[in-house]
Amino acid sequence: MKKVWLVFTAAVLLALSGCAADAELDTLQPQGPTARDIDNLLDPVLIIAYVVFFLVFGATVIIWWKFRDRHEDEKFPKQIHGNTKLEVLWTIIPTLILAGVSVFTLITLSSLNSRETNEITLQVENESVAWEPEVVVIGQQWWWEFRYYFDGLDGVDLSDARNLPPADIVTAGQLVMPIGQEIELSVTSRDVIHSFWIPALNGKRDAAPGRVHPWKLEADEPGVYFGQCTEFCGLSHSRMRMQAIALEPEDFQTWVDQQLVDQTADQITDEAVARGLTVFENQCARCHVVNGVNEDTSIGADLVSNAAPNLTHFMSRTTYAGGIFNLYEPDGTVDRTQLEAWIRNAPAEKPAYAQGRRGMPALGLSEDEIDDVVDYLQTLGTPPSSFIIQATEVD
Amino acid sequence: MTDTISEEVTEEQRPLGVYTRPKGGNGWRDWITTVDHKKIGILYGAAALFFFIIGGIEALLIRLQLATPNGTVLGADMYNQVFTMHGVTMIFLAAMPLAAAFANYLIPLQIGARDVAFPRLNAMSFWVFLAGGIFINLSWLLGGAPDGGWFGYAPNTGVIFSPSVGMDFYAIGLQITGIASLVSAINLTVTVLNMRAPGMTLFKMPVLTWMLFVVQLLLVFAMPVIAVALFLLMFSRQFGANFFNTEMGADPLLWQHLFWIFGHPEVYILVLPSFGIISEVIPTFSRKPIFGYDFMVFSGIAIGFMGWGVWAHHMFVSGIGPLSVAAFSLSTMFIAVPTGVKILNWIATMWGGRVKFSSPMLFSVGVISMFTIGGLSGVTHALSPADTQQTDTYYIVAHFHYVIFGGIIFGLFAGLYFWWPKVFGHMLDEKMGKINFWVMLVGFNMTFGPMHVLGLQGMSRRIDTYSPGFGFEAWNMVATIGSFIIALSVLIFLINVVTSVKKARGKPPCGPDPWDARSLEWMTPNPTPEHNFDEIPTVESLDEFWHRKWGTDDEGQIVRVATAEEVCQKGTATGVHLPSPSYWPLIFAIGLPLLGLGLIFNLWLTLPGGILIVTALYAWIFEPVDDPDGPHGDHHEVNEEISEGASDV
Amino acid sequence: MSEETTTGLSHNKLAMWVFLGSECLLFGALISTYLLYRNKFYDGPAPGDIFDIPFTSVSSFVLLMSSLTMVLALAAIQRGDIRNNRLWLLTTALLGAVFIGGQVYEFTTFIREGLGYTTSPFSSAFFTLTGFHGVHVSLGIVMLMSLLISSYRGKLTQKNSETVEIIGLYWHFVDVVWIIIFTVIYLVPNPTS
Repeated sequence: MKKVWLVFTAAVLLALSGCAADAELDTLQPQGPTARDIDNLLDPVLIIAYVVFFLVFGATVIIWWKFRDRHEDEKFPKQIHGNTKLEVLWTIIPTLILAGVSVFTLITLSSLNSRETNEITLQVENESVAWEPEVVVIGQQWWWEFRYYFDGLDGVDLSDARNLPPADIVTAGQLVMPIGQEIELSVTSRDVIHSFWIPALNGKRDAAPGRVHPWKLEADEPGVYFGQCTEFCGLSHSRMRMQAIALEPEDFQTWVDQQLVDQTADQITDEAVARGLTVFENQCARCHVVNGVNEDTSIGADLVSNAAPNLTHFMSRTTYAGGIFNLYEPDGTVDRTQLEAWIRNAPAEKPAYAQGRRGMPALGLSEDEIDDVVDYLQTLGTPPSSFIIQATEVD
Repeated sequence: MTDTISEEVTEEQRPLGVYTRPKGGNGWRDWITTVDHKKIGILYGAAALFFFIIGGIEALLIRLQLATPNGTVLGADMYNQVFTMHGVTMIFLAAMPLAAAFANYLIPLQIGARDVAFPRLNAMSFWVFLAGGIFINLSWLLGGAPDGGWFGYAPNTGVIFSPSVGMDFYAIGLQITGIASLVSAINLTVTVLNMRAPGMTLFKMPVLTWMLFVVQLLLVFAMPVIAVALFLLMFSRQFGANFFNTEMGADPLLWQHLFWIFGHPEVYILVLPSFGIISEVIPTFSRKPIFGYDFMVFSGIAIGFMGWGVWAHHMFVSGIGPLSVAAFSLSTMFIAVPTGVKILNWIATMWGGRVKFSSPMLFSVGVISMFTIGGLSGVTHALSPADTQQTDTYYIVAHFHYVIFGGIIFGLFAGLYFWWPKVFGHMLDEKMGKINFWVMLVGFNMTFGPMHVLGLQGMSRRIDTYSPGFGFEAWNMVATIGSFIIALSVLIFLINVVTSVKKARGKPPCGPDPWDARSLEWMTPNPTPEHNFDEIPTVESLDEFWHRKWGTDDEGQIVRVATAEEVCQKGTATGVHLPSPSYWPLIFAIGLPLLGLGLIFNLWLTLPGGILIVTALYAWIFEPVDDPDGPHGDHHEVNEEISEGASDV
Repeated sequence: MSEETTTGLSHNKLAMWVFLGSECLLFGALISTYLLYRNKFYDGPAPGDIFDIPFTSVSSFVLLMSSLTMVLALAAIQRGDIRNNRLWLLTTALLGAVFIGGQVYEFTTFIREGLGYTTSPFSSAFFTLTGFHGVHVSLGIVMLMSLLISSYRGKLTQKNSETVEIIGLYWHFVDVVWIIIFTVIYLVPNPTS
């Protein structure tokens, strides 16, 4: 938090209350190489800016002090109309300073746009795959989808985000990535413009429909890095949040292994779960997909995304509804109350235009049906470690 | 009540026949038919302050919603409407017309002219602006205000994503105010180029007139671009055009380019008038000429030019290529140079002076220090990689409020205090003016200072709520408290206006030169008579008025050569030929919102609107060029007696 | 109305120049929009499929000729030749009307061939750009007719030849813009579907 003070020293009075211990979106605490590059560019410029400000401010204070008119006579100070030398000087000096700054800007800009060719070896369905870490990031009102294609993106047509080829892993709200690797992102949108931003790892990049924007993320250490949609995208813009979860390579492999498993209905023995599956198939499956249960039919019409998060491994995630609710209590038990409220009447929990197919509608399920479908949801996927449950917790 | 002369005018006296023109006077009818640039300036000012208060109330609502996490004061839908309208109102309906108020009132006076080049068009500009402003705000009552942000990024503004009529009001309403701005800009451009007093070369014009002139040129070239953007949006929403239909391959970035090609010059359209104002105030109160006049003018022109080459710095993360980002990053960085030159010149003007910190001066020094903060944070956005962290966060909100509030509103307040006696013939209370300044300064910094921290802590813009635990709580509360302090300062200003008006009632106007001012407008008495100058002065130098008061003796000491009373004209001239008032600008303006409502709700409504517009235009053309009753400046209350003797001139 | 001005140009003429400067950016923005979308014809007809270049060339030629007749109209009024002034004003307006007629014909043909306003980004951009130009020409015709009417009412004489000149400026501008539009839309090689 120290650096925030570089920016706003004057507010000493409110120091204690202002600098809360947790500031997960802080842009001045980089946790990866790209964000660090950006920070290293900004810090010296902030110092220059400070010096300039104090020079100007100091000058006004001196004027206030020294040149203030304390007489009531009609005397005039020396009439100076200008000084060309001075003018040239104070045109050239800032130009030179800015020229210096722009050199560093261009260097950082080029590193921001450079791409590493890195590969990691993954076990995908008992085969060893050399994966160049790439994730497709898709924004829509008001949540994020992340798609993993382990065969690479070369043959994948991303031009129409509402009609994408099936991916190996489709998840939502939480981007899972291995540490120490540069992850290439292809950022796009299914409806309006959004902006993908994990401040601790990199700056933001807009997700625009019909366009695929390259971006990258890299984390030094395992951890959870918070994000927030930053391009105004309509009603629930403020409730469109996301997290990047960076894992040790072997933990990432475990996560991949778990995600690659499809759900099959024939394993279900519990009756409530079976009833929940029926509810899912009758209601939820219109938009949501559980691999192995239904097919993705979400290709929308009329520009709206019409897509809903893939729920195959719902329990492996810890947030839902655009990253605004916790699926788990800190102790690892499922927060059924919130989940049931969400299924009961989603628009009451998060503003949406459900009637315009933007956001989850209130389905009018009975309380029993809600119970059952929550039971069913709880069978989908493996809960993450308690570290992740606690680190991803949202308020 | 009015002293309108209403004799029948015979047919022969009317050059073109059918229509008569309304006569001068002082009642409400005079205000709605006036073509006097000074009255129009006052109307602009009053309307702008009205919308400033509306926009301010919207700001307070925003701050109330954000005062605490998970705020529920407005709710998401209403919040989006309120923040959109806050931006639209403050930029298009408050800051721009307030600058237009100064431009209208002062340009003719500063260049030694009796009016603008096209007085009726000038009146039309005002009424069209007002009609547009009212039209946009009607959306509150007629189905919801615009909810897509003042920047209206496609495709979020399309019918599917913004189904209420709000964005229609936005597209059509801003088109209407755009007509006003464009017409006014053409008018004032011609005025400056064509109507200068003898001897008033371009480089003897006061810096304010220069800056306003640059602004008019920016408007001339920027307004058509936003007009096209708004047409594309309107046609998309009304007629199903596919400009932003991404399903058919339309590019959502088209809107952004068009909007910001207008939008960035717009920033300078807003800020240069304020720069001009303080360039008049600072020399006056420092008792020194402006330091480096040529550099001040050229830096203003440079800003005007460079302002066209920086628009994509609003789009560093929008997905434009790295080369564009690099180019716009550099151009943005270097636009800081002419801006810096201005700040240093103001400081150099004060340096070594004998500075009186009267309220206009306080506000001007406020501009210098507060705008510097905004300018410096602006340089940090020019670092495009750093901007990827900053853009669309509260750091940007802080930045542009330091520019727009710190740099513009403070400057406009400096102008209000400075020219108040010129316009109304009495001073605003100095003590309250100073309190006004200090309260505003404290409130302003409390509101927007913390937003720097909030932004760098990652608080996103345009969010209707935030969760606890990100460290946002305390600073948001501070900002909300600050915003109410700003409201208090505006209230102090209003009270100052009311009490000063009351105090001045029944008393003779203040003297002609309350500040020992420098430029031509002060050569007319306060308040300015209807005909401005008794006799158009011949200009010999920059700061003509000052040079007529002060000379140098053999030792180079400055000595008084004439008192202000001697130099200042008496305002008693009669028989000065002035343009006649007209109804048609107002009628024309009423037609436009009707047309707009028709496009939104029912095409039949366009009929009366169209009829009004066509009638007004034709009547305009065919109404007599001048009032056949002859000279004006005669029914002015002050010199009624004298006018009797002169009516046969 | 012999007001002295600083530049020597009359207010009206100067205002027209400034206005035309503004118009440059209006058409600039519309042309840019068209250029961005000329390849975005979606499922509809492509520009190369639908344009009838010989036809449009003829109507463009007609519009160009109207600039010539406008010059003749101005020359006539400047030497006080009211008769010829009326003749050339009328000719100019008629040539303009022929051009507009051609545009109406072209639009209806396109619509019949399946290129409606809402067919594709290309169609929207095409109709908007050419439509804006058409409206400009139409307003020019209205102005020319107004000149003609005031001429018949005896109000248009050598003394106010400047009014003709100013409307002429507008007319020439609209013609020049059409040359650019014609080049950009029709003459550059167009994509076909």
